Amino acid sequence: MLKTMFRAGVAAAALLTAGSALADVTVYTAGPASLIEKLAAGFTAETGVKVEFFQATTGKVMARIEAEASNPVVDVLISASWDTATDFAERGWLVPYASANAATVPDFLKTDTAVAQGVAALAIAWNPASGTPRPAEWADLAKPDYKDLVNLPDPAQSGSAFELVSALSADGMGLFESLAVNDAIVAGANAEALNPVLQGAKAAVFGAVDYISLNGKAKGESIEVIFPESGTVIAPRPVMILNWSKNQDEAKQFVDYILSDAGQAIVAGENLMPARTDVTADRPLIADLKILPVDTAAVYGKRAETLEAFSKVFAK
Amino acid sequence: MARAHEAVSPSVVIAAAGLVVVVAVPLLFILLQAVFPHLGRGSLAAPFYALAGALGDPKLIGMTGNTLLLGVLVVALSALIAVPLAVARALFRVPGAVIWDVLFLIPFMIPPYIAVLGWIMTLQPRGYLEQVAGFNLAPFLFSISGIVFVMTLNTFPVVYFAVSRTVETVGSRYADVGRVFGASPARAFWRITLPLSTPGLAASLLLVFAMAIEEYGTPAALGGRAGFDVLVTAIDLRVSDWPIDLPGAAILSLVLVILSFAAFLMQRWILTRRSYEATTGKPQDSAKRELGVWKIPVLALFAAVAVAATGLPLLAILATAMSRTISGGLAWSNLGLSNFEAILGDSTGALKALGTSLSLGVAAALVTGILGALSAYAVVKSKVRGRGVLDVLTILPNALPGIVVAVGLILAWNQPWLPVTPYNTSLILLLAYCCILLPQPVRYATAAFHQIGDNLEAAARVFGATPLVAFRRILLPLIAPSLLAAMLLVFAVATRELVASVVVAPVGVSTISTYIWRQFEQGSVGLGMAMAFLTILITTALPLIVLSLMGRRGNLL
Repeated sequence: MLKTMFRAGVAAAALLTAGSALADVTVYTAGPASLIEKLAAGFTAETGVKVEFFQATTGKVMARIEAEASNPVVDVLISASWDTATDFAERGWLVPYASANAATVPDFLKTDTAVAQGVAALAIAWNPASGTPRPAEWADLAKPDYKDLVNLPDPAQSGSAFELVSALSADGMGLFESLAVNDAIVAGANAEALNPVLQGAKAAVFGAVDYISLNGKAKGESIEVIFPESGTVIAPRPVMILNWSKNQDEAKQFVDYILSDAGQAIVAGENLMPARTDVTADRPLIADLKILPVDTAAVYGKRAETLEAFSKVFAK
Repeated sequence: MARAHEAVSPSVVIAAAGLVVVVAVPLLFILLQAVFPHLGRGSLAAPFYALAGALGDPKLIGMTGNTLLLGVLVVALSALIAVPLAVARALFRVPGAVIWDVLFLIPFMIPPYIAVLGWIMTLQPRGYLEQVAGFNLAPFLFSISGIVFVMTLNTFPVVYFAVSRTVETVGSRYADVGRVFGASPARAFWRITLPLSTPGLAASLLLVFAMAIEEYGTPAALGGRAGFDVLVTAIDLRVSDWPIDLPGAAILSLVLVILSFAAFLMQRWILTRRSYEATTGKPQDSAKRELGVWKIPVLALFAAVAVAATGLPLLAILATAMSRTISGGLAWSNLGLSNFEAILGDSTGALKALGTSLSLGVAAALVTGILGALSAYAVVKSKVRGRGVLDVLTILPNALPGIVVAVGLILAWNQPWLPVTPYNTSLILLLAYCCILLPQPVRYATAAFHQIGDNLEAAARVFGATPLVAFRRILLPLIAPSLLAAMLLVFAVATRELVASVVVAPVGVSTISTYIWRQFEQGSVGLGMAMAFLTILITTALPLIVLSLMGRRGNLL
């Protein structure tokens, strides 16, 4: 019996090790999975260069890079938080690259070492079947109509939610205090906050990532994405080439492909806003939204204080 | 004893080598990471720098207290539910016994993150319960009681299977002796059968405790709202929140390890106080008693637990998987099989993920089974020096959060000077699963070895068997039922492990759990649930088929 088990173990091990050679370009990316799948397939079809990717949340991708730092394998990194690009540039981990295709990407969506792949915005995701009036403004969700019916993504777990909290608390935590009094709750990361709204346990998400809700709506979910006129924040998704990459030419080709007409069409197909202003999408674009000013250096400088104040407001 | 003068048995050497690779290496790197904050970048600068920050966290004491409370409550409730069921199952002829066993196996096959999502979608306002019955239980679910309830339903099978098997091995034979000498049936049970079953009970409760303090999904999903923070959620936040704090996570994990180690010492103290040998080689009478008037109440208890632990979660999962949209709710017009079609049509890479996870599950079960049996033998039956260290190595990973094991494995196996490395191959997932799950077979096999008299092996040796032959022909068959059950649990957990897989999976490789998790992240809850449902079917059916082919279903389950 021992011998059979041993043989089976060896056979299984042999099976598992087969076929795991590293690809030409290794991409680490924050979600969505279907976006990187389509980009990788399109790029390989066009150039013949093979792409392998690792997809997780921004946090898990960063944890992996941090643990791998003594012997890194990633060539291209796509984060869901612009903060990553700033931080990695400060550490000197990035290769400067200006893609020819980035000409029509607005200046605030590119630096020497990073360029946006696409952009998400935060919005109110409201379930029309919830029996509540349609909210138009952030402050509406603090009204009695929405008592115990509002979810907020956790700013400690979502970079974009943090920027929204910073932007809306520039003059104090007043709005969030009235939300807390109205029994709004902080409910995990983005997807976790949206689910109860779809089923109807809650009526709205305060600061939902727009493309996930738009995709849900396209599938027939009862959900509406509302951009308050007073303004919202955007979450550009930076693409970076790491300086330890041994495949920098292929990595640059991949960045070019992301910013090509075909690549940006794939981005638009996921209901994200394309980074290039000359590519359209079937959804509100950056020019259609009022963007709240966020001084990244300043707000991230006092991140700990903001999160502390926020969690105090929502502590029971 | 003569054995002390012999050369060290090869089985002990294999066990030690295996434990070093599977447990000691990643553990060492977690320790190093706790001490040297910049280990990831290959630097040993600023030792102990992070210690004060992590241990000086004002919330630490509260979180540690919550973690302990959660562990103790889950252990208590698991024992309360599982022990009566297990005793009834072991000593009496319960109608449909095998079916109950299968139904109690399923909760263990339901990934905890799926189970908790199922419960949320059932019990929250406008959830399935409210759609069907008009009321919801949200205040109960999002509280400590709710967390303990959901976690217990996931863990009680561990106790049920361990205790029912040990009690069966102890048999009614010893109790009969007590009866002959005038003890009442109740007295014989409390004074003889139950004390002799202590190894199985203690081992399984220890496993439940470690699982409860290590589990991430349920406290994260339910505890946040109740203001109930535990160590694991704090560890995960340190690993997912930029700037990543690996040393802080490593230090907090060591606190968890200490908790689990304390529980382990307590279990060992209980086991070494006396002898529990019940398997002596003499023929056993395994005839079971009739339940008599207790038939209906006992059946009702079995049914109630099966409905809560298996029926409701499976229905919630199936309902979500068959819904076209979540907002459509439970309406005929909203039901369809499109999610299952998407998976079976493999338009989303689901079948490949299934294949990867199933082969990893089988491999992990085999490796941990062999290593677990050898380690338990080395600890219980050999007199080799340092066997205490081996015993400690087999329990430590139990309390290590999956994400920290993953980080330890990356730090260990991604060193630039290694000529070959399992990192970035599927083998790294196998190593992760083996490390996390090794305690299961070891605990089960240890409990079984404690019940086997030393005379059996000695008899084999007298008749000329080598140590390996005696191990293979005498001891292994005797512990096989316990060991196979543990391997089955390893298979189930390894095929659905999420937390380590998300971080350590090689580029381009999906497992079942990372596939499901990605669907959730993208808002495709139905697709994720469909995959979960198919996985539960497969991971339940596969072991059952294997066992019945081996013709030992009766005494195994």
